[in-house]
Amino acid sequence: MRLELVAHTPNVETMIATSMLTTTSGAQPGTLYDRLINRPGKVKEVVGRAEVQHGNILEHNRLVWLLEATDSEVLEATLDTSYLTFTRLDENRWLLSGNLRAVVEYAQKKKTPFTDALAASVKSVAPDIRFLEHEES
Amino acid sequence: MNVRLLALTPYDLLRDRFPMLGWRQLLPHLSYTFAVEKVSRACSHQMVRHRVASFSQQSQRYITVKRLKECVVTPPTVDDMEAFRGLVEEASEAYQTLVDAGVPKEDARFVLPNATETSLLMTMTGSALFNFYGLRCCNRAQWEIRGLADAMLAQCRDAEPELFDNAGPYCYMLGYCPEGRFTCGGMAEAVERYTPGGRG
Repeated sequence: MRLELVAHTPNVETMIATSMLTTTSGAQPGTLYDRLINRPGKVKEVVGRAEVQHGNILEHNRLVWLLEATDSEVLEATLDTSYLTFTRLDENRWLLSGNLRAVVEYAQKKKTPFTDALAASVKSVAPDIRFLEHEES
Repeated sequence: MNVRLLALTPYDLLRDRFPMLGWRQLLPHLSYTFAVEKVSRACSHQMVRHRVASFSQQSQRYITVKRLKECVVTPPTVDDMEAFRGLVEEASEAYQTLVDAGVPKEDARFVLPNATETSLLMTMTGSALFNFYGLRCCNRAQWEIRGLADAMLAQCRDAEPELFDNAGPYCYMLGYCPEGRFTCGGMAEAVERYTPGGRG
């Protein structure tokens, strides 16, 4: 299996922080996003407080990969999780995507080279989220 | 009502990288996040019917509703504005009385009207968004969510016209009206309105 991250929503952690503060702050979400986009320290602080049970705050981001995998490897992944989307490109290449919550929860649920690669992608775009820490310990 | 497209996964990047896939095949892999501000709770109740979507909404458990009379959406069909404002004022007083009496906000909110403004982040895949437009740009949709859908579509067409010039109410996308006996009878006008360069 080989995984290449080809696209994702921009400013992943800013969006997570905006989502968190939208629910509790009373400020408008667009205003929050504009304030946070130039305040990486604040984003890091807010995202560092995120708790795993509130996974919906992750759902506003999406990651898209090019996946090289056999049919049986893809079948195993689709049986493991209903929330990743696969589109076949040719015999062993697939376009794969999922929202950040689906990816994180899958990587938490099962440890395989595939989920390790997914987790590494997540860490590359959202280094401050703590959801995957137990996977690394 | 304010709406703003905050983030998306770039369609053109995926189109160029994977030319073997048509735009319809790319839709499930695309994501669009909107800041939707100052819509009514009646509107947000309709929005969450679109279950294949993600929402982060202002919580009435944590956020105190202040100056309710300044923070309501008034339907255009209400003629007696004085009576409407009076009812909102009564609800506002009832809410404040409960909060002042120590009732938790999560319970005091039970007396708030559906007209109360709310704001939220909403994210949909391209597939879910096309379905949202198909249903909510339709003449049969309720006026507030139809206004929201039109505003969202305008921003998507500005951002990715090649993709979203294909989107609109189902009569525009399908070439026929799927509403059966409930059809508005105005398909030709609707198709013209949503055709790029049309009457907008």
